[in-house]
Amino acid sequence: MTRLRRAGLAPERGPLAVAAEGSGGLRLVALDPEARALGLNPGEPLGRVRARIGVPLQVHPADPAADRESLLRLCRWASAYAPLVAPFGPAEATDGLYIDVAGASHLRGGEANLVADLAARLARATIPARIALADTPGAAFALARHGEADRIVVPPGGAAEALQDLPVESLRLDPDMAAGLRRLGLRRVGELDALPRGPLARRFGETLLLRLDQALARRPEPLAPLSEAAAYAAARGFLDPIGRQSDIVRTARDLMAVIAPRLERDGLGACALRLVLHRVDGAVRALDLGLSRPERCPERVAALVSLRLDRLGPALDAGFGFETVALAVTVTGILLARQTDLGAAPAGDGVGVVADALAQRLGRALLRLEPRASHLPEQADRIRVWVAGERQGSSVDKGLDSMRAHLPPPFAGEGGPRSGSGEGGDAAEQGRVDQEERALSGSRAPLLRDCIPARPPLTRGPPSPAEEGGRTPARASPIPSPIPSPIPSPWPDHLPPRPLVLFPRGEAALDVLSTIPEGPPRRFRWRAQVHRVTHAEGPERIAAEWWRAPGEPRDYYRVECEAGHRLWLYRDGPHASDRPAAWYVHGLFA
Amino acid sequence: MGRDPADEAEREPASSESRERLAALRARLAPPVDGRDRRPVLPLGLAALDAHLPDGGLVLGPPHEIAPAEPADAIAALGFALALCARHLALKPGEALIAAAPGQPLPYGHGLAGLGLDPGRLLLLEAGSDAEVFRALESALHARALTALIGLLRDGMPLKPGRRLQLAAEGPAPPLLLILRPAPAGLPNGAATRWRIAAAPAARDRFGTLERPRWRARLERCRNGRGGDWLLEWDHAAHRLHLPEPLAGDAAAAGRSRA
Repeated sequence: MTRLRRAGLAPERGPLAVAAEGSGGLRLVALDPEARALGLNPGEPLGRVRARIGVPLQVHPADPAADRESLLRLCRWASAYAPLVAPFGPAEATDGLYIDVAGASHLRGGEANLVADLAARLARATIPARIALADTPGAAFALARHGEADRIVVPPGGAAEALQDLPVESLRLDPDMAAGLRRLGLRRVGELDALPRGPLARRFGETLLLRLDQALARRPEPLAPLSEAAAYAAARGFLDPIGRQSDIVRTARDLMAVIAPRLERDGLGACALRLVLHRVDGAVRALDLGLSRPERCPERVAALVSLRLDRLGPALDAGFGFETVALAVTVTGILLARQTDLGAAPAGDGVGVVADALAQRLGRALLRLEPRASHLPEQADRIRVWVAGERQGSSVDKGLDSMRAHLPPPFAGEGGPRSGSGEGGDAAEQGRVDQEERALSGSRAPLLRDCIPARPPLTRGPPSPAEEGGRTPARASPIPSPIPSPIPSPWPDHLPPRPLVLFPRGEAALDVLSTIPEGPPRRFRWRAQVHRVTHAEGPERIAAEWWRAPGEPRDYYRVECEAGHRLWLYRDGPHASDRPAAWYVHGLFA
Repeated sequence: MGRDPADEAEREPASSESRERLAALRARLAPPVDGRDRRPVLPLGLAALDAHLPDGGLVLGPPHEIAPAEPADAIAALGFALALCARHLALKPGEALIAAAPGQPLPYGHGLAGLGLDPGRLLLLEAGSDAEVFRALESALHARALTALIGLLRDGMPLKPGRRLQLAAEGPAPPLLLILRPAPAGLPNGAATRWRIAAAPAARDRFGTLERPRWRARLERCRNGRGGDWLLEWDHAAHRLHLPEPLAGDAAAAGRSRA
């Protein structure tokens, strides 16, 4: 109702109702005071109401999603009073919100002043509201919904007394249970509380006692807050609202600079951040930034914010500007202090920088290929999101560890536990590369020299000492003893040749002509072209994985066509005289 | 008091050694003879090819354009690009990034071994459009964190993004940048080289099986260099391109390779 009036969708005056599909047609779900004065009640069928009243009634369809959205907006607005704000859930079955003002009310000059301030602001925004402040959410709900006044402040410890005379419906019970209580003559909370508990629980179940205890502070009731209070957060308010992108980026950097020392003290870095922009007109915009590895450098965060704002462009509607910018660390990861070089850019995590930049600028993640234990070629690899510090072969056992615990590079090979850090993989990677290069230079060097006597000298940038030894084939340099790679490649090396590009499903090859029925095809049509096979290798029989899904064994052939294209074909199932085998093209070789 | 002759004899080689060192230092500090810096290149390891390319290899940094001769040769072009990438990764540490426009075929992990490329050193990005591919490549060039970059395009590279990539690649330690585009001829776009790749019938080894991937590579355009046309074979173990050895009965190779 209020949402419609505020959005200008409904006229300011005149009886107004919101109707939704109920049992037996449209029924009223919400009414404005004028409609209520006509004697209408929520739940009445719309048709009967129209026949009964003589004045025209404005009826709007109900939109629960928009209602929820505006309630969440109200919650975000209300988080100015206290960080812990929770909208009503399904238990309350109505619209409203809880604000946990414990420890925050003194900021507004006491609880009474806080409630008065809240009511005044809501009234100014023409949002009708009933406010109650009590020890427990249950008591506050009961008083707000069924209390006498619009604004009630219950002193600490006075919940039981205040609830004495309220109807039992105020305890957030479902209608059947409330009706059952009324049938027994139990109308007030006080009467209910005076009864022995055992028979009540037997008759009405545990829920009744739970609600009663929650309202009277005998059992705790955790709220589901909209946003957890972040341990690492900072905010800045502006007298003059800001609207330019560079200002927002600069503010984000300053806020991160405030948070960074606290993170550093605890040995943590930010894995995910939330930048909340409060617009002058009360709208709140939250941007979530994910990082590929823990980070606490303000410049890096500012760069990511800038990229994200670049991508949003006009979609980030600044309106008349933002009056408050808040930055909170939502996920933290361990980031130990690391030695920095003077003036040198931190090396080693460059790919992470690229990954973060792409994630913010394009909204796309870097991917990598990973093998899977399956005989079927189309299921033998998969694409995973790249995570910093996670290398090949490390995904199973230390994937999660390394995500959380990215340790700095061990200095000169000493210190720094290797398991769980990305650098163990790094060193292994390096070792393997070195080995490859040695293999290249050591065993192939004579071959290279024989093949090309006048080989031009390798030209490249300033050679680093690490490059010198292994690479130039002509020079016989002492080779240090090879370091065995602790992480073997997860990719199997015993497979027969596999195509460079594999189709997710085999594409049917038509008009297949074979010299012998069980043999490879001589000619077939695929993608509207006739291919003549000049060479065929195979078959490689790959049986179906019966433990996953039944299927026919496939006979794979590597064939080369006249034009030189190399394809991977398979015959689905054995050939039978009554059932000619079907052929499929499954992949292409380079 | 004369000098000890032994002392004299010792000093003589010492001074000649320092003279050598001085000469070496002078050579290192001397300005380049031809007036410009030798740019870092990826030598292809094949004298016939490297002689055609300025500086003796594919210049690192500016984009190199690779296109299939026919639409059906797209996989051959992808194979050629990945082979160059594998050679570069074998020479330098680091990782390679493939940024693919929608609809472009991504490599199959188990098939990369056939080209000598380690899938663990390959990162993929599925971009939403050609423009996103260019943006991703530009970000990666600016970050200088990856060793090789490959962009798979759906339409082609116009002049403006090509020029932007070229500018982003300027600076020290540039990566190898390869752009794969579809077969229809494109406009001039500032690429350093432009290759046309077609599949060619491969040679058989002594067991009668297909031995190595073989491509017909035409160097259509080469800045500061000459074009050419070769039949090339890729040796995935040594990470080298070969000219096919003329064998009896190998009709494809006989007399068709010319520089």
